[in-house]
Amino acid sequence: MKFLPTILFALLFVFISSCDKDEPQTEKNFTLTFKSTYGGLALEKYKNYPYDDRDIQVNKFNTFLSDLILVRQDGSEQRLSDIEWVDFTPDLAPDNKAVDVKFQYTVPAGNYTALKIGYGVRPDLNAKKPADFAPEHPLYRENEYWSGWQSYIFTKVQGLYDLDGAGDPESTLTYHCGSDAVYRTSTMNATIPVTDKSGALTVEFDVKKLFYYNGGLLDLDDPLNRNTSHNASNIDLGIKVMDNFANATTVK
Amino acid sequence: MLYRKSFLFALLVLAVITLAQRCKEPSGTCGMGCDLTDIPYNPTAYTIPKPAHFPQIPVPANNPMTLEGVQLGRRLFYDPILSADSTMSCSSCHLPQGSFTDNKAVSTGIDGIQGRRSSMSLLNIAYATNGLFWDGRSASLEEQALLPVEDPVEMHHTWPNVVEQLKSHPVYPELFRKAFGIDNCCGITKELAARALAQFERILISSGTSRYDQYILGDPDALDDKELDGKLMFFDEGQVVNLPDAQCFHCHGSITLTGNNYFNNGLDSVASLDDFTDKGRGGISGNRTDNGKFRTPTLRNIALTAPYMHDGRFPTLEAVLEHYNGNGKGVSNEDPFVQQIGFPLGGNVLQYSGLTAYQRQAVIKFLHTLTDTTFINNPDIQKPD
Repeated sequence: MKFLPTILFALLFVFISSCDKDEPQTEKNFTLTFKSTYGGLALEKYKNYPYDDRDIQVNKFNTFLSDLILVRQDGSEQRLSDIEWVDFTPDLAPDNKAVDVKFQYTVPAGNYTALKIGYGVRPDLNAKKPADFAPEHPLYRENEYWSGWQSYIFTKVQGLYDLDGAGDPESTLTYHCGSDAVYRTSTMNATIPVTDKSGALTVEFDVKKLFYYNGGLLDLDDPLNRNTSHNASNIDLGIKVMDNFANATTVK
Repeated sequence: MLYRKSFLFALLVLAVITLAQRCKEPSGTCGMGCDLTDIPYNPTAYTIPKPAHFPQIPVPANNPMTLEGVQLGRRLFYDPILSADSTMSCSSCHLPQGSFTDNKAVSTGIDGIQGRRSSMSLLNIAYATNGLFWDGRSASLEEQALLPVEDPVEMHHTWPNVVEQLKSHPVYPELFRKAFGIDNCCGITKELAARALAQFERILISSGTSRYDQYILGDPDALDDKELDGKLMFFDEGQVVNLPDAQCFHCHGSITLTGNNYFNNGLDSVASLDDFTDKGRGGISGNRTDNGKFRTPTLRNIALTAPYMHDGRFPTLEAVLEHYNGNGKGVSNEDPFVQQIGFPLGGNVLQYSGLTAYQRQAVIKFLHTLTDTTFINNPDIQKPD
């Protein structure tokens, strides 16, 4: 019995100590939505858009994004994802309108001030191949991998350009950009509150801005500006496209 | 007391009626003799054999692979019980020796009516997660397996009748019990039959022993010089030796040599997108810009699956290469790479020069290295005894 006060005191101490600690931080839902536009207009496959004095169509647009990270005011980081696959123009879409692509994450509540994005597949992941991943993993996609170059195809932009000026786009544009040489990163500043309930951010890519170079649009009359795909001979064009990705990105 | 007697009498009458009713039912119609609970249900988890350099095989959570499910699916696949006159099975259009095609331009159903499309190879079909059939109208193998049974130009049966036949069959109730744990023969459904068929189809995986596989696994002598030239052009890797791009791999990429995407590959010259005789994917989606698009078939075992294209219009691989060398028809929804075959001819000269006769032959010779006779002779996928 003589130890009873001691035991009670010890229990009281443990109780009080536990109250001192911060409540465990609970994770909140965070929705990241990717949208695509052309010159600020909603993107649609097989639709003519102005390109200088000609017309252009963008009939395929997809991309891998690496290291999606939210940044707090103090500079600390909250990783959302190592890699995502964003396909705005899937084969089985119900119509030609580019789809919005949404991802759900859980993050601690707080005020975030920036989103970091890697455009393409970061080098350590790009060193792997589809067979290294489970079917549900974004990098399982074999059709987005070049075995010849041992690289994922980071970004695909395909369409038609009115090369002959007759009014209807007829000449092919194929920008398949990949390899470590074209991987790019950026940090997009924004006010990103994640409240006690949830948070959300919309990231918009303006595909027209992928075509900018030296203050103007790429001259698509030049055949060297119309196609780049999986051969090192025209990687310069791939680099131009991927260099433009950060400028083509806005966060809302 | 009177009530109690009446109640007991009513119970007795009811029992007699029920017993008489059950005795009238033949075996296999949920009556006596239909109980399967004496048969053990201990399904064996089944791992699909695959080459190490192939990706993991996606298996839906609602249809896990079991040895018993595969065995049932295999039996159903080869059984003409699925057709109205019991003359046609899945294997009638998907024969192992044709890499699970029937080597006909279009398939013919039980009523002698020709379909409009060629049977697709089922090789590596487990990897097809972007729709099935040439037009992608089924989302999964489980959905796909339901359709040919009731198609008037195929088996022209009805699932209710098939299920009745399966219930009263001397063997199938036991096989369904072992695969899916049903308690009596009335547990047999078309959905379970489709799940079993899908399980069998998922094991139709390459052996990984073709000469192309040997080459990519490190044997440089597995391909001769001409085949290697073909490979370089197929995968657009030939610039260093002044060979043009054949652009094949854009649609026939990945280890299975199909991305299972949908393309207009430049077959038909049409005045407008509304004028395709067979609208393909557009016939399902209702989107006119999908007209003329079809799912890309695998090129593994392509030498065994002639004739080619969705309507079997090309009898040989030579005819196929001749077609592609024409750079399409300029229809607005053609895949852009169809228009770029033979491009660029070395270095950075951007011109569509086409493939020479030698280059076309080299690509064809490479395609022959994809032949996998180990697969088509695999005893585990043949008609069961």
